[in-house]
Amino acid sequence: MNPFERASFSGGASPTPRPGYLPDLLRSHSPEPFPSGPSLTGGSGLAGAIHGTTILAFHFSEGVLVAGDRRATASNRIMSNRVDKILEIDGSALLAISGSPAMALEMGRILDHSLKFYRRSQLAEISLEGKLRILAQLLKDNLPMAVEGIGAVAPLFIARDGETVRIYFYDILGAHFEGVEFSVGGSGSPEVQGILRFLDRWGEKSLRSLTRDEALLLSLRLLETASYFDSATGGVGGQDPIYPVIRILTPHSLDTVADEQIAALYRSEVMRVR
Amino acid sequence: MFDEPYRWIDAIHQRRDYISAQLDRATPVLAVSVDEGIVLATFHRQTPKIFELYDRMVLAGVGHPADLESVRGHLLSMAHVEGFQRSPSDVTIERLALFGLAPRLKGAFEDVSVPPVILNVLLGEVGKNPTQDLLLQVSYDGNIFRSSSHTVLAADDDSRMKTTQLLSGLLPSCPTNLSAVLPVMGRVLFETLYSPEERGRDESGNLVDKDKAVECGEKILSERVWEGVLLDRQNPGRIRRLPADPGWFR
Repeated sequence: MNPFERASFSGGASPTPRPGYLPDLLRSHSPEPFPSGPSLTGGSGLAGAIHGTTILAFHFSEGVLVAGDRRATASNRIMSNRVDKILEIDGSALLAISGSPAMALEMGRILDHSLKFYRRSQLAEISLEGKLRILAQLLKDNLPMAVEGIGAVAPLFIARDGETVRIYFYDILGAHFEGVEFSVGGSGSPEVQGILRFLDRWGEKSLRSLTRDEALLLSLRLLETASYFDSATGGVGGQDPIYPVIRILTPHSLDTVADEQIAALYRSEVMRVR
Repeated sequence: MFDEPYRWIDAIHQRRDYISAQLDRATPVLAVSVDEGIVLATFHRQTPKIFELYDRMVLAGVGHPADLESVRGHLLSMAHVEGFQRSPSDVTIERLALFGLAPRLKGAFEDVSVPPVILNVLLGEVGKNPTQDLLLQVSYDGNIFRSSSHTVLAADDDSRMKTTQLLSGLLPSCPTNLSAVLPVMGRVLFETLYSPEERGRDESGNLVDKDKAVECGEKILSERVWEGVLLDRQNPGRIRRLPADPGWFR
């Protein structure tokens, strides 16, 4: 037998390994990333489970702006105001996470490694459909934790499709739909969703015609508005020098907006009181 | 066979001769550490020889394409499982070579009851600056050869030393940049693959037949496929393919 035959996949949940599919490889080396088993909580959820978020993504003139607040809460406790909820995936896509950070961050890691593993092993970029399916499968695998009430995740996925950038939103079962102009997620999203809809329909400019500076300012004001109504949205400025994470994906670049730029904009245009 | 040491040693000698003969015509892979990262270059006829392995890491091989693909799959799995379960910074070519590759190659070489692995491997890892770059070669018998600034992956020690000498003589003396090194690598490959006569030169290297030189330069790019790769220090998660300039091959 050739000593370099690929690692055995026997014993995993998936009897036939899918070429370039990292979760199959991981199953042969470790327990299930998202195990399904008897209820840990009696189906009532954990009182201290960490959740609460506002994430948003919208098209503007250069591509898609994706922003998220920094707060993680457990019940009525603020666990952290420094969480990065906008994850870079293989330097070419973004995953904005809402829901249980433990599961969401793990999904982000698996997705990032999966896209890299596919590209390196198959010597080709995986298609957009393929990326969407991997994330859908991860969410589906997470269903037992979601129905337990402790591990639900509902992310936004922003990726390139040739010369355009597309926004997709997922439900906790893995169903995904395109957010044509914008998508939002998390407990603070209703206000943001309403404002984005209003502005895109009746604002002075449509979202797609906003400049980069206008889009940046809008995202900061939206997150500030969400934090005003939603106690689980925070870490968006104010007393502490902590600002939202804002990333911009265009057909040819992926940029993270510097804290200094956000801070200056926040002080001059968001903190202003009439 | 295994009861008689002489026969085993004889079989190993024959195996070494067989592998050397199979590798004999392999085009070398050159690797040089530059300011921008690690640059690798070679030519292939049918299948690629240089691959992205992991963040900060690249893999090259000369030998049988099927063996290269098996080793590549093994190292890819090892690196990605390790990187996922621990951290990407825990994945190093030193660990991949010492614990993943060398023992298996040695075992395959010394087990005369199975077909041999016909392959020499080069692993490159880019650091924060050129002094931290590492290049490791693992030969078909499991031996490891370490270098940092530049190296040549070739069929055997003789051709490696010969091509390294040529490369060293043409490379700038201090750490340099990609634009200065890539043409040198192209020229070294050109001189390695074609005799002075084929390149229209006399034995001292003087150009004596310009038409022949042009013809040979066109031939190398029509008969073979150029592979130039940069493992970028600033963006080490993805290798960058570099095109060739026909002007290098004259």
